[in-house]
Amino acid sequence: MEQKDIKALVLSVLGETRGFDGYVIVRAQSRREWSMRISNGRFERVSTGADSGFGVQAFTKDGASGFATSDVLSEGAGQKLVQKAIQLARRNEAIGTKLNRRIWEAPEVQAEEKNPAKKSFGEIPLVELEEMAMTLHSRLREVSPEVVWQTSYNQVEEVWCIGRTDGTNVSFVIPRAVVMHQGTVRDQGKAQSTLIHRSGMDASVLFEELEDHVLERKALDRASFAKAVCGAPQLPSGHYPLIIDYGLAKGLAHEAFGHAVESDHMNESVLGEGGKIRKGLRVARPGVNIIDGPLVGDWAYQPYSANGLLRQTVTIVRDGVLEAGLGDVFSAEEAGMPATGAGRAESYGNVPLPRMSNIRLSVDRMLSLTPLEHLMDEVKAVRETLLQHGELIEGEKNLLLLGYRGGQVNPKTGDFVFQCDGIIDVADPELPIYQPSIFSGKILSALEAIRGGIGEGCYDAIGTCGKGGQSVASSGGSHRYLLMDADQQVSLGGQHA
Amino acid sequence: MKLVAHLEDLLYQAQHTPVKEDLRLADWRIVVNESEVVSLGIKDNSPGSVYTPPSYSQSESGEIFLVWADGKCSQAMVQLEAHDDQAYWQQELSQWRQASYEDPDAAHIPTPEPLPLVTVEDPEIQTIISGDGQILFDQVKRWLMDKPSEPKMQGSIQTAWGYRHIRTSTGLSVTYQQSQFVSWFSFDSLIGGSFAKRRLSRPEEQQKLWERTMNLYDALQIVAPPVGPQTQVILAPSMTEDMLGQFILPNFSGDRVIEKQGAFTKEDFLENKLVFHPHFSLIIDPLCPLELGSYLVTSEGVPAQRTVLVCDGKLQTPYLRVKDSVRWGAKPTALPHGMSGLYLKHQAEVPWSQALEAVEDGVLILSVLGLHTQEAVSGSYSLSAPHSLRILKGKIVGKTDVKLTGNFFADMAAPTTKTALSELDTFPYLVIKTGVQSL
Repeated sequence: MEQKDIKALVLSVLGETRGFDGYVIVRAQSRREWSMRISNGRFERVSTGADSGFGVQAFTKDGASGFATSDVLSEGAGQKLVQKAIQLARRNEAIGTKLNRRIWEAPEVQAEEKNPAKKSFGEIPLVELEEMAMTLHSRLREVSPEVVWQTSYNQVEEVWCIGRTDGTNVSFVIPRAVVMHQGTVRDQGKAQSTLIHRSGMDASVLFEELEDHVLERKALDRASFAKAVCGAPQLPSGHYPLIIDYGLAKGLAHEAFGHAVESDHMNESVLGEGGKIRKGLRVARPGVNIIDGPLVGDWAYQPYSANGLLRQTVTIVRDGVLEAGLGDVFSAEEAGMPATGAGRAESYGNVPLPRMSNIRLSVDRMLSLTPLEHLMDEVKAVRETLLQHGELIEGEKNLLLLGYRGGQVNPKTGDFVFQCDGIIDVADPELPIYQPSIFSGKILSALEAIRGGIGEGCYDAIGTCGKGGQSVASSGGSHRYLLMDADQQVSLGGQHA
Repeated sequence: MKLVAHLEDLLYQAQHTPVKEDLRLADWRIVVNESEVVSLGIKDNSPGSVYTPPSYSQSESGEIFLVWADGKCSQAMVQLEAHDDQAYWQQELSQWRQASYEDPDAAHIPTPEPLPLVTVEDPEIQTIISGDGQILFDQVKRWLMDKPSEPKMQGSIQTAWGYRHIRTSTGLSVTYQQSQFVSWFSFDSLIGGSFAKRRLSRPEEQQKLWERTMNLYDALQIVAPPVGPQTQVILAPSMTEDMLGQFILPNFSGDRVIEKQGAFTKEDFLENKLVFHPHFSLIIDPLCPLELGSYLVTSEGVPAQRTVLVCDGKLQTPYLRVKDSVRWGAKPTALPHGMSGLYLKHQAEVPWSQALEAVEDGVLILSVLGLHTQEAVSGSYSLSAPHSLRILKGKIVGKTDVKLTGNFFADMAAPTTKTALSELDTFPYLVIKTGVQSL
């Protein structure tokens, strides 16, 4: 369904709420998706899909809420949902729910954002996309037949419209596309897999990859690295000076820090006290900054919140000091922060929660590094850069953690864990490779340990935020690499020391 | 008109009297789910907060799989559109045709076979959905009254009810009702309990789950001595489920085995390689009444049946969807729904109370951080488990933070690994000897 049609539907459904003395938010979404997966030279799946519907959040005049959703995007369905949501809100009021009238204070917004995609969703026929994906896949298999390759391409377009009782009407389009190569290698009786991606807004990612083969080179390098990891020894567990790549840095910023400053988490966050953000707290060394905000063309781009507020770019940490959090309209004030349009939802069927978009970590102290075509050449360049600046600590392992396999944090206790694809000791001129092991510790200690960045900013590390059981696109990054001091509260797993 | 009826008409016509010859179907399959869901949550001790309000959702959507006259295949997700006229569906059909691809192994629609009798619907749940949902509000109220005063409580109750329709061009036409009841709660997001079945939980089950969680919560308030190198590790039932879900189940997926992307090879299965200790068996059983993983027929039209993946420690078969079964040269098997429907059996299983008494020096792992980041193919793990419970001389004595290092395949093969039965869970406690140290 087109943006203007959805907008008209939302206006029409809201028109039916005039007699209600409370407040209503209507979210309508129409989503299209094309996806394909090729395994060992054959299409394993090509699928098309569409999903659209309404989500209606109603508030009684005192602020009790109810929520109703349907996957039928029609005026009649929307009107029924409004009645259902109002009925549930009234039931909720009767059980003594915590009332919330913040939505009445939200500014009225009128906006109709243009689709930022360079190529519209169906501009390149599916058959051509299949051919392009197969070409990319076949090249990998030709160059590296010993690896079991799987190539996926996924393209999504989400059209959103959010309307509110106060007259707010915001509509926008989120286009996303990603091509991924997954390789499984076996060596010395062990298997390892590696996953590498290139993301953007539309089918341009396929055209760009066919022209420059950047992803292909990365995939081949990562497969070679994975093979070396198969037979690599484990590190003794302990506390080491670390160099983490920007994928891991995104994980650290997102999991360990971003979630801890979301306004709905302040009662259970190590960065909250008495339910409010600990603004002014020194959390890192001077020169360390963390910023969150949408970037046009990025995987996690979203210009407005799912509550119809402009999504603002927020400096969470400035010069090492906690400055702000990610606030949505419902909990920002209680959490001691301004509402910055941080509410995002997986779909019309989910209640929006405060969450990140693109989160990036930067350090004023940066060592320059020219990105090189091949992984191990770049690792050598990292070693040389560190030697040149006297940053390698004599007689100690200096471990470079490569690849981000995900992580998890308990925001209440501040415990975090991350996993990488493998580890290289850059203090040793032989650059020995080790098995991946869990990178864990306390989030404040990890931030405090950051002492510098290597290379320019890379903010295209992508992922999916699973907060509240939803799946929402997330992204971010840092300098190409981050330097971290050894810290007693940050450790690598591995064998017993 | 219902979505399933629209689709059936459309695909039947495309098979027998297509608008264009290019759009002629040889075979097809439809699965449509109609569901209504009612839920209510608790956030930070507040029932029905703005983030967890009482909710109602209704949906009618499905998936189609098409085999065209030239043997190509298509698959698509579908939902009932507001403008579901003839022209709209013909346009959809053309788009599905455009998305067709060659996959000869997938181009098989099973012929209908008798379906087993499996209870997958609790009529009481339908009453809740069509009524006022009072039971949800009552349960939440009870939780909040009974909870300890200090911790922040989070929780949710969700009931779902609806129809499942499966139609195939080979003559299968099944519609049945199914239900679901899922509830969970936690204190300070550190410890909690959950229930998930196709029926409502019984008062005695709710009571036992609450008491167990409260006892563990109380134990977490006491600091216990650290673990030592000889400390036995005991995975709580939910942890056993999570470890099996991360390391074992993905490696039994037929497509992974066939594509050599799993820990086991096809030869390993054909040779019935011993991979677990002979006391262990692993089964997919969709026939258990009112369990969440139970069903009558798969979305591909294969009747529910019991499938043994591992018998006495030896590999038997991966789980096979229709396409994988063609490539494997066997019949399709039962399929798990997430981890539901999977059962781990041990020949020397004892009740948990008995197993606990026998633990001289142990640590009970309730949850770990970062399990999903571990490499499923290698089975190796390196995990931190803050908020675990120390066991000394058969008693849970308090909280300790530990780090685990090991390999789950090795754990499943070790003669020292044992299981203990939990009366509240489908998965057992798993007693293992693995690398453990204080965090």
